[in-house]
Amino acid sequence: MFELLGAGLVGMLHVKYLVPLFIGSLIGVVGGALPGITITMTVIVVLPFTFGLEPLQGLACMIGVYVGGETGGLITSCLLGIPGKPSAVATTFDGFPMARKGEPGRALWIGIWASIFGGLLGAVVLVAATGPLADLALRFGPWEYFALFILALSMVAGLVESSLVKGLVSGALGCVITILGNDPVMGQPRLTLGIEWLEGGVPFLPVLIGVFAFAQIMSELERFSDQGHAVNVAVNLAVSQVKVLGEVLTRPFVLLWSTFIGLLIGVLPAIGGSAANMLAYDQAKKFSRHPEKFGTGVPEGIIASEASNNANVAGSLVTIMAFGIPGDAVTAVMLGALTIHGIQSGPLFISQNATLAYGMFAAYILAHPIVLILLFLGVRWVLRIVIVPKSILFPVVLVLCVVGAYALGNSMATVYVLLFSGVFGYGMVKFGFPLAPFILGVILGDQIEINLVRSLMTDSNLWLFVTRPISALLLALSLGSIVLSVWQHRRMQKKSAGPSGDADF
Amino acid sequence: MLAASLFLFALTLGLKDNPLVPIGPGYYPRIVLGVTAVLAFALVITDVLHPQAAQAAEGLNYLLVVQTFVVFGLYVGALPFIGFRISTFLYVAATNALLDRPRGGKGWARVVLVAALTTVIVYYVFERYLTVLMPRGRWTNF
Repeated sequence: MFELLGAGLVGMLHVKYLVPLFIGSLIGVVGGALPGITITMTVIVVLPFTFGLEPLQGLACMIGVYVGGETGGLITSCLLGIPGKPSAVATTFDGFPMARKGEPGRALWIGIWASIFGGLLGAVVLVAATGPLADLALRFGPWEYFALFILALSMVAGLVESSLVKGLVSGALGCVITILGNDPVMGQPRLTLGIEWLEGGVPFLPVLIGVFAFAQIMSELERFSDQGHAVNVAVNLAVSQVKVLGEVLTRPFVLLWSTFIGLLIGVLPAIGGSAANMLAYDQAKKFSRHPEKFGTGVPEGIIASEASNNANVAGSLVTIMAFGIPGDAVTAVMLGALTIHGIQSGPLFISQNATLAYGMFAAYILAHPIVLILLFLGVRWVLRIVIVPKSILFPVVLVLCVVGAYALGNSMATVYVLLFSGVFGYGMVKFGFPLAPFILGVILGDQIEINLVRSLMTDSNLWLFVTRPISALLLALSLGSIVLSVWQHRRMQKKSAGPSGDADF
Repeated sequence: MLAASLFLFALTLGLKDNPLVPIGPGYYPRIVLGVTAVLAFALVITDVLHPQAAQAAEGLNYLLVVQTFVVFGLYVGALPFIGFRISTFLYVAATNALLDRPRGGKGWARVVLVAALTTVIVYYVFERYLTVLMPRGRWTNF
């Protein structure tokens, strides 16, 4: 393992990999810092540029975007009080008050160092846990895979705050997308509705790009004001790095516990850093001797949020590399990039593509010092870029979405899928349907079917799903997550508004 | 959603089984569509039993959203006819002008400059360096 990691690190230092990693990290920092532009959107924008690259070059670039984005998001959170991305919301709670008290440099660098440590601690788990988890998954038969994918879907649907039914409907709709076109086992045409290009099925990347890009851009346009943010680029960010480092390292419990939370949330499918930073902040507050000081500019609040959202990246990478299940939307795009290059993610990924897998670990590790250097040199430049008007950014992003969709198959069909998915995704958001279960359904639908058919081809006894121990456990957990979710919804309903509450249960 | 899932479910009933596999191509779609229909029905029942007041949409600029969608739809529709370069230039210019109304000659110069730069950079990066052949126009052959 260490030999392969060492080789991966040395290989990643080669210019042909280091340049995409560096560029990706830079774009990530800028994209993460731009309020209204999420990391998912940034990685979607970068995706078409990676088509012509080697798989590891493209993935290094995307990993750079991911790590850079998670760190870059804290810049505007601390200095402007506007989170650059949802996973930096909790950073504003203490980062901005600290900056307003005249310590912007301290707020910023506590966040940066916490991000770096959180990310690197996450790397230890990423490298150590992915292989054994993949080995475990290799023992799975089609029954266990089927149960695992059902668990992933039910967990994500159950985690939806507003309505469990809407979460489940959203996941089911994602699976519906995958049943259009030829069946994945025998290639028999079905439900093509007379549309010729639908015979090959609906490619998931244009769906993912359309749903996320449009849902976000159109939601921004609802409240659109091109006033820009008042940015004081002359703000004094000078700070003693030794002192700030000391502030982070003398709070090991917050750092480690928040990293653990970030990893855990990252490993769970399709939840993402937005939940991780809030949960870690909440935990840091609960464990603090002075919880009343949270929100006034305490370092613990910044450390908790930033360590967790960077560790979340490592957790998401574990899930996708060990099981082929995306931990969030960004890793879903990476999954698409792997598919484009004909690489199958999942338990066999590490053993069949060891160089690529360890190259990805290396890219993740090296992205952190690169981001650190970038921020040392150019925080002020990032602040200048934040003032680029969205009236310019949005059309450019949508053009790149079109290019990305078109380049997938050199066909207008994928662009039409993009347009349709955009309208559909925005509609889903407006009607309160969560996007995460839908996307997971689109990604896992085929795999659920393939494993169901394989299991029945091996043995037509349906009881095997509940008599094989791992499969039974996973299905029980799946049922448990739904029951727990129903119970939580009922509890929330009782607490909040009585009989006319918002929740469905 | 309920109607669509029931319609697709009905279509799966016409799918013929394959003798080589124990379950036909309609087996899984029927499960998925059946579950979707049941969930959609549950959603309808929930809405009937617990009607939620329509959320106030005050201050939300839906007109701008619709306009942006329409311009994007026109862009996608125009791509096969007038090609990537012309349609992208027009699309970026139109959307930029829509989101930030140009005032005077300077404003229009900004719109044209942003559209031209975007088109040229994207075209050259993808077509020349990443060898992604962008759509040519049927009418313009360009």
